[in-house]
Amino acid sequence: MISVLIYEWRRLWSVRSTWIMSILYLGMAALLGAVPLYFDTGAKQSWQGLYSSSGNLLCVIMLSVIAAQTFGHEYRYGLIRLTFSEFPKRERVMIAKTIMLGVYVTLMTFLGWAVLGAIGASKPSRISTDVVGFSLSGNNIPHLWQIPIFGFAYCIIAMSVTVLTRNLALGVILPLLTATLVETLISGFSTLAKGRLDWLVHILPFNNGYAWLSGSTDMHLSGLVFASWAVGFYFLATLRLHVRDA
Amino acid sequence: MRVEVQGIDKHFRKVHAVRELSFTVEPGRVTGFLGPNGSGKSTSMRLMLGLDKGKGQTLFDGKQLTDHKSVTRVVGAHLDAKFFHPKRTAYAHLRMLASESRISKARVNEVLQLVGLESVAKKRPGGFSLGMGQRLGLAGAILADPQVLILDEPANGLDPQSIQWMRDFLRFYASLGRTVLVSSHLLSEMQLLADDVVVIARGSLIASESMSAFLARSTGSSVKVRTNNVRGLAEALQSEGLSLSVTHGEELRIPNVTTDIVGEIAFRYSVPLLELTAETASLESVFLELTESGQEYRTGVSTPHLGGAL
Repeated sequence: MISVLIYEWRRLWSVRSTWIMSILYLGMAALLGAVPLYFDTGAKQSWQGLYSSSGNLLCVIMLSVIAAQTFGHEYRYGLIRLTFSEFPKRERVMIAKTIMLGVYVTLMTFLGWAVLGAIGASKPSRISTDVVGFSLSGNNIPHLWQIPIFGFAYCIIAMSVTVLTRNLALGVILPLLTATLVETLISGFSTLAKGRLDWLVHILPFNNGYAWLSGSTDMHLSGLVFASWAVGFYFLATLRLHVRDA
Repeated sequence: MRVEVQGIDKHFRKVHAVRELSFTVEPGRVTGFLGPNGSGKSTSMRLMLGLDKGKGQTLFDGKQLTDHKSVTRVVGAHLDAKFFHPKRTAYAHLRMLASESRISKARVNEVLQLVGLESVAKKRPGGFSLGMGQRLGLAGAILADPQVLILDEPANGLDPQSIQWMRDFLRFYASLGRTVLVSSHLLSEMQLLADDVVVIARGSLIASESMSAFLARSTGSSVKVRTNNVRGLAEALQSEGLSLSVTHGEELRIPNVTTDIVGEIAFRYSVPLLELTAETASLESVFLELTESGQEYRTGVSTPHLGGAL
């Protein structure tokens, strides 16, 4: 298992796109954190609110590109055949990629917080002292531990979609479109349908994901629905990867 | 290491690509894997490596690939000249492949030098020629010094010097007791390279034997004679019950006969000979003879009619 993890680590960091997307992620997190500090003259920003910028969808998209590349590059360039020639036990490859994705998301989240911490330190007058540091109490802003978990679950969906479609672009676009457009439309139709589509809204993956992240009243149920989608996609992708020709 | 292919079989929807294929690849020999386009060679190789899902099994030294501790020490495969990320340097590509067997950086450099890519090791292979891609693929296959090499069309896109280099390399590799299975469309090249041949057509086995035994299957071996008395020699041969297949100026071609017999007849009938040559069948001629009916994709116009078509 160690060797396949080393393989994944080298695969991940030996292409320029990983570095570019990582820098874009940090840049986006910094931008989202800096704007309210430097340009918003309203209420002060809390540390926790500042750190939660790294969980914004605009940041998570960058992570999802890396998640889609996990299998997307392999299928696009035929590398999947080299990978499975070296590691014929396919489930190990899937597990290694998942672990490495988790490590990457966690690493980037911490780096994002470090960047946001530096930005907050550069403008202390705009930071509220009511909530300090890595407080775990979230009031309509996420508990900090939720941010990497949300990012990881989103990335699992992106990676799984890539495996199922064998298409890198779809792995990025489908979850993004669903999160931003499809679910918004469904929610809109539900309102027009006077609640008759509420059941559908309640099972939408990303609606629930963000409800969980924002600490809504039903956050535990929302978290469970979001996690079920991620696990469901992951299960299907693993199954497909196992039975399909490389 | 002996490779036993046992009843591999594969369907692609309605197409029966590989049909219950069984053969053995022996160590210390280069085995050529031949077949017309679409005959199932590449699919068979993928089935052998477990990349495609199908029936049957392939045993490496009596064990399935997944039962070996280190797969890359057992088999090295090169299936396509473009199986690399165009932006990952050649060195990084090999370092990645080196993970499974924990191969050192020194070995990666050694292999790059061996295939002649050391000067472009830090370059991105997106701009590599087909030949350079083949070399990189071969480098990946031999990285862990495997007991078995499986190569799919490795000579495609190589210049004559590189083809000769590859031939020498594969023969050397086999001489170390390793097993080499190589598919190719370059039949003249394969005749020089392979000790054994496995021939398939439409996914079925046509032959699996030594090259010499395969060539002996031909019905096309003949003796070529050149003489300044064509008529005299033709009459002499016919009176001895031999048939002449082709006559061309001063040249006669007598099928299914040895040079000894033709020489003796000419001597008895006092016909001077200017040339007497045994023409053994080429791999190409035997291959075409045996696979003619098994060709999956063929052109619709025969060569003599091409002029009209053009």
